[in-house]
Amino acid sequence: MPSNDGYYEALWPRSPRQSKVKPLAKRLDTLNGKTIAQVWDYVFRGDEVFEFLEEGIKARYPDVKFVNWKTFGSTHGSDERAIVAGLPQKFKEHGVDAVISGMGC
Amino acid sequence: MTLATAASKGLGMPNLPVARVVGHPGVQSKEQLRRNVLDVTLDHVIDNLLNPPKSAGADHEPSARDVVCKGSFDEINDYFYKNELSDGLPIVPPTLEKVEAFLRYTDRAPDDSLGSILPDNRAATIWSIAVNGVMAGCKPEYMPVLVALIEAMADHAYGVEHSGNTPGGETLIILNGPIIKELGFNYTQGVMRDGFMANTAVGRFWRLYLRNVAGFLPHKNDKATFGNTWRVVVAENEEVVKKLGWSNMAADFGFYADDSTVMISRHTGGNHISSVSGASAQELMPYICDAVLRQYSWQLMFSTGQGLDTLRPQLLLSPLIAETIAASGWSKRDFQKALWEGARVPAHQWERIQRDWTQKPLWDLKAAAVKGDVPKVYHESDDPNRLVPLVWRPEDYLTCVTGDPARNSIYVFAHNGVLGFPTCKKIQLPKQWVALRQAGAK
Repeated sequence: MPSNDGYYEALWPRSPRQSKVKPLAKRLDTLNGKTIAQVWDYVFRGDEVFEFLEEGIKARYPDVKFVNWKTFGSTHGSDERAIVAGLPQKFKEHGVDAVISGMGC
Repeated sequence: MTLATAASKGLGMPNLPVARVVGHPGVQSKEQLRRNVLDVTLDHVIDNLLNPPKSAGADHEPSARDVVCKGSFDEINDYFYKNELSDGLPIVPPTLEKVEAFLRYTDRAPDDSLGSILPDNRAATIWSIAVNGVMAGCKPEYMPVLVALIEAMADHAYGVEHSGNTPGGETLIILNGPIIKELGFNYTQGVMRDGFMANTAVGRFWRLYLRNVAGFLPHKNDKATFGNTWRVVVAENEEVVKKLGWSNMAADFGFYADDSTVMISRHTGGNHISSVSGASAQELMPYICDAVLRQYSWQLMFSTGQGLDTLRPQLLLSPLIAETIAASGWSKRDFQKALWEGARVPAHQWERIQRDWTQKPLWDLKAAAVKGDVPKVYHESDDPNRLVPLVWRPEDYLTCVTGDPARNSIYVFAHNGVLGFPTCKKIQLPKQWVALRQAGAK
């Protein structure tokens, strides 16, 4: 008995990605003497996680400096787009060499 | 880690280094969290700061108009399911012929993009709307509604990028205007039930587009703890609204009352409230206010916490309830004001939810009011039992009249705040709409 299941040529339902692969920032040679920004989305106890990370990193690299997450505001909230857009300028103002951004889950 | 890996691809940084945090911080003691961070996360963070990540590989994907599968109905459906291109139900194979039929119902060019949709960061093209509309089982004439929906999805105010968050809320689509009757949407009994082609197929389209173009796939970018099934489209009963002299949802969002519009907002749940009894607005309100409050717990963070002033509770009123309220001489604004004054929470309970139960960093109503971050109504005294409103202003309550005209029920949705903020768009009909509809009727 012939199949009545038809024949179709189905199109791709996605569309092109708009992002090109971007190069990541150069890594640091040491953390001593460097300034690290803490950027937080105000969830998953990141305030405490940053506190512990700061403690652990300072124990190994005593000359490291941190810019606290309070400096930047929440990256996950009603004004998140404006806050994220303002990050590069704030990093410059604070002489930031590297960023730790959290928290996901 | 799976979410970070999936999301970083759409941001153009597929090799972005990620540090692991053991378990979920929400259920760890301070000491457990400290040990986990110092024993595991710390090394990952230092390694990520000092050592170059692996180089990023190129992404090879089909082009927009590529045929990705040829074969029978079952073969097409097997391919789409195995390649995560469908929701698990059979799809209508999106052939060129069917897609072109949809494209005739818009004046926009197939390659026009309504914006980039995060997290996959794909172009919201008219073409992709047509393809997914075919798959969902829509009719070609639904195309203007689909285009307006994706225009709303692409609006930054809505926040589509949050659609894979933990609470797993699902979008509510509310339809207004002449298009309701023109395309046969249900706006009466069982308005949220599947079984009406236009309501059901357009609702399914929304979720397919979230999967295929936005990129929300469960176990990847969609991290819903439990999730929800997509909702069918809710249409307002405009005959009743007009009779009452109330504004419809379109007018509430600044459009003309006779415009056809789509409004989207995202909700983590909701509840049908039965037996709303009383012969006047005054008699109905205590139960309605209580019902609204019972839908809200952690979502208070969208009023005074990090989602500051983005909570917009949505109510559906059955025509009978709306008529009873209006018969007391109340306008829609009067109803919203009564909700705002009646749906209030003791301040200590509000703060306990944000501070103790959900461990949010922003919870102090007094500090926020003194700083000017929230209205003074949230701190009119130091009395911990003072009552504070669920939202900042009466008009933050959204109300739609729909459902069974003969029942005394309401429905209250639990809104997801900034992670699905109400966004409304006008439905633009093509210049040849009437001719196309007449041709289609033959």
